[in-house]
Amino acid sequence: MKSLFTIREGGAANWTLRVITMVAIVGLMLYIPTKWEAGTLNTAIEGLTYMSAAMALNLVLGYTGQISIGHSAFLGIGAYTTGIMVSRWGFSPWVTFPVAFGIAFVIGVLISFPAARIKGVYLALVTLALGLVFPQLATWKKLAWITGGGSGLPIACPATGVSRSCEGTEVPTTGFNIGPKSKGQMQTFEIFGWNPFGDLRRPDNKAAFYYWIALVVAIIVYLACRGVVKSRVGRSLIAIRDNETAAAVMGVNLVRTKAFVFGLSAGLCALPGCVTAIKTGGVSPEGIINMTVRGAITFLIVMVIGGAGSLAGPVIGGALYVFVVDKTGTWADDDKIPGVLRPFFAWSEIPPGDGIFAVLLILLMFVAPRGIAGLWKQYIHRIVRVIPRPAGAIGATPAMATATATPTSNHEGEPQ
Amino acid sequence: MTLGTDYGMPHSSTEGGQLGVSLLEVDNVTVRFGGIVALDGMSFNVEEGHICGLIGPNGAGKTTMFNVVSRIYQPTTGSVRYRGQELLNVPAHGIASLGIARTFQNLALFPTMTLLDNVMVGAHSQGKVGFSRAVFRLGAAKENKATRDFAGDLLAQLGLGALAFRPAMGLPFGTLKRLEIARALAARPQLLLMDEPASGLTHGEVDELSHTIQSIRDQFNLSVLLVEHHMSMVMGISDRVVAMEFGRKIADGTPLEVQQNEAVIAAYLGTSA
Ligand SMILES: Nc1ncnc2c1ncn2[C@@H]1O[C@H](COP(=O)(O)OP(=O)(O)O)[C@@H](O)[C@H]1O
Ligand SMILES: [Mg+2]
Repeated sequence: MKSLFTIREGGAANWTLRVITMVAIVGLMLYIPTKWEAGTLNTAIEGLTYMSAAMALNLVLGYTGQISIGHSAFLGIGAYTTGIMVSRWGFSPWVTFPVAFGIAFVIGVLISFPAARIKGVYLALVTLALGLVFPQLATWKKLAWITGGGSGLPIACPATGVSRSCEGTEVPTTGFNIGPKSKGQMQTFEIFGWNPFGDLRRPDNKAAFYYWIALVVAIIVYLACRGVVKSRVGRSLIAIRDNETAAAVMGVNLVRTKAFVFGLSAGLCALPGCVTAIKTGGVSPEGIINMTVRGAITFLIVMVIGGAGSLAGPVIGGALYVFVVDKTGTWADDDKIPGVLRPFFAWSEIPPGDGIFAVLLILLMFVAPRGIAGLWKQYIHRIVRVIPRPAGAIGATPAMATATATPTSNHEGEPQ
Repeated sequence: MTLGTDYGMPHSSTEGGQLGVSLLEVDNVTVRFGGIVALDGMSFNVEEGHICGLIGPNGAGKTTMFNVVSRIYQPTTGSVRYRGQELLNVPAHGIASLGIARTFQNLALFPTMTLLDNVMVGAHSQGKVGFSRAVFRLGAAKENKATRDFAGDLLAQLGLGALAFRPAMGLPFGTLKRLEIARALAARPQLLLMDEPASGLTHGEVDELSHTIQSIRDQFNLSVLLVEHHMSMVMGISDRVVAMEFGRKIADGTPLEVQQNEAVIAAYLGTSA
């Protein structure tokens, strides 16, 4: 197969492409909060939440091959950590992020120990149980003193500082207290005297503020995943996925590696939970659907559609998911469905976004089992082929990277 | 493919390693699978710098022996010492850093990874970057580069350079057998266990493999425990041969001694030649 362009990894053309991609992404990130209003910004925040959670799940499932249908619990742990610390003990929400990471990390590590011993469908069932039990536990009466029970937690009541006595007081306008307080609640968020968001009591400004928090969290999760994947540990994760016994013989400590990857994945998954709690302004399984098993399944589908075992996959999947759900959000009303599509979706009583996504999942499993990112990798080299950097004695000649079908020493006569 | 400069020269047992020092001592090892006794009081030594052939009919327990040394199976009795250290207390993942690497009879590669990445995983025991250093990129890029260059060198040496960036999946058996050797060498072993490296190769390839094994031994200054059915190859390159049947050692000595051993002849006439 010939490709149109051949470029070298780390060469000028490669760097140009990277810079263009980065500029496009950064440009989009900057553009979104300036032009969009609260409604669409909330969709973007939701997208960033799914991206973060799916990226975290990807470490365990996509790279290490350990299935989990319980990651919603880790998101829930993040949300409750923020909720409890802010509303009960008056901590700054910023502090709750590392604490939530730590708590979820420890729980993830604990869960990894049985998980290291069980495989495949059994692991799926155990993690499913975790996902199912979490909302039950969170709303358990005996824990109501801390979790707020069935009615959940208001994240902050700036007027009184105590959540239980919030009735009758003014509804918090920003959801939480950070930065300089005036009248007990945050109205602006200033960074060394610079006030980028304006009056946070205005819904659009508030949404833009939350958007930035969600974005920073997503970037942190991405960088953490990328750091792990492009390292010795990352290779050992894929080795575990491909062949556990061989991985162990190469010196990979299976129990420890699985413990760490479960812990890290859980910790990272808790971070979008903190964001959700802050944005929602309250924490309960009914208010935050992503901390129920439904959320875990959504993370799974987002990850698989985007591309399991690839860094870009969950990002693509998250963006596509919220795009589809958002575009079809009004389709419960038949008149809102575009004419051509009306016969297909007119029967739907609820917005058909999830259904469309499910059909997409089925289709994609036939054409691209490695998701959209996999499809991209499969076809992009017809346009641009990137010759990898030289590795030791293996020089970076075009022949080397493209050849492929014929080994240099042709003493194994087998057909490829 | 060239490996070192001195291949083809007869190996004299005085060069490389200390003569007569046992690197690996297997003592009275017994492994049972339900009713089957796969290893039955098996004992033998591998000496420093030697290529030690391990032969026996199918089902004799050779692969089981490898799995005991690489700590995949736990024997019911016995002891396995490496440089005097008891291996049976060491977990499977601790073997590589002690200097023991192996290849697998039926291939145990990482199919979705490129050949280069496969060999890089082989160097896992040599690396240091763990989760926290990886997340914060503390020395990860530097380690990646060093490992990558080392892996590239090994692939080139084994004649796999042109395939370095291809996934292992779908490549011919003979190629993958050589990849197993490259990956094992990435651990910088002092003892290399090879389980039927010549299976599925043509006659010409078997001869070339013999040279490869000898030159690897000389170049990397290691000892080899070689399980193989190609008698001409084993007898040609081994300094010592251990023959086994039904999980027991039936002969142990120079290739010539073992070839003439009555029990060995009987064992092989009873099964395949
Ligand atoms: N995991 C296992 N479970 C049950 N039986 C096994 C297992 N591994 C090996 N065996 C049995 O142990 C005996 C020795 O097998 P093996 O070591 O593979 O022989 P060889 O490599 O010499 O051909 C055989 O009878 C085989 O069936
Ligand atoms: Mg065998």
